[in-house]
Amino acid sequence: MTTTVAQQEVALIDLVDRLLGGGVVIAGDITLAVADVDLVYVQLRALVSSVATAQEKGVLPKMGSAL
Amino acid sequence: MIELYAIAEQPAPEVPSPLRAVAAGSLVAVCGPADDEVTPEALWQREMVLEGLMADRNLLPVRYGTRVEDEEAAARAVEERREHLAAALERVRGAVELSVRVVGEAGTAVHEPLLALARDAVVSRPQAPESHRAAYLVDRAAIQEFVDTVAALQRTTTNLQVLCTGPWPPYSFTSP
Repeated sequence: MTTTVAQQEVALIDLVDRLLGGGVVIAGDITLAVADVDLVYVQLRALVSSVATAQEKGVLPKMGSAL
Repeated sequence: MIELYAIAEQPAPEVPSPLRAVAAGSLVAVCGPADDEVTPEALWQREMVLEGLMADRNLLPVRYGTRVEDEEAAARAVEERREHLAAALERVRGAVELSVRVVGEAGTAVHEPLLALARDAVVSRPQAPESHRAAYLVDRAAIQEFVDTVAALQRTTTNLQVLCTGPWPPYSFTSP
């Protein structure tokens, strides 16, 4: 789906949002530990900030479509 | 325990081991082993499975981490929600999901031109430094036009970063 590291990171944020927050809820028995989810989210929020900051500094190329 | 990955329609898709396509009336529950640990690799692995299935058929992704006792329980869970799931599949037939996030001020300006190319959209709360975050349900035939429009919007709004990813299975469009 993606070609560069920066784009993969962006796509990972979108993936986590979708897998953990989307999809059809079929059964009440979702056994994913809440702690695990929080951890992944925290890491990714940090990542969003770091990508934005790096771009302001001109370290990363500006990203367009990751398609 | 096994995990429910996706709901598809008959005829059952050919799935590689250790996945299983479990018949449930006119629908099919695609099941597989449950992940021991939630890692980026595990999430990508799941996404790859779904994208493989999505290549030539319509499907509804199931919420990650949905576990059932066995294949019989999987079939039962799908049968119980048959009408709801069939209607939800109808809604996404022939379409994919594209994600758009905009970093910068007043990013919502991209929404109208993109919505015009989509079958539907779900706007969610942006997280700083974003100003717009949405999922668009786009006909497969319209993907290129959508991507071209994203690129054009990026060119004309140099103060924004328009981040578009996909095509994704329709994670955000699973209600009828």
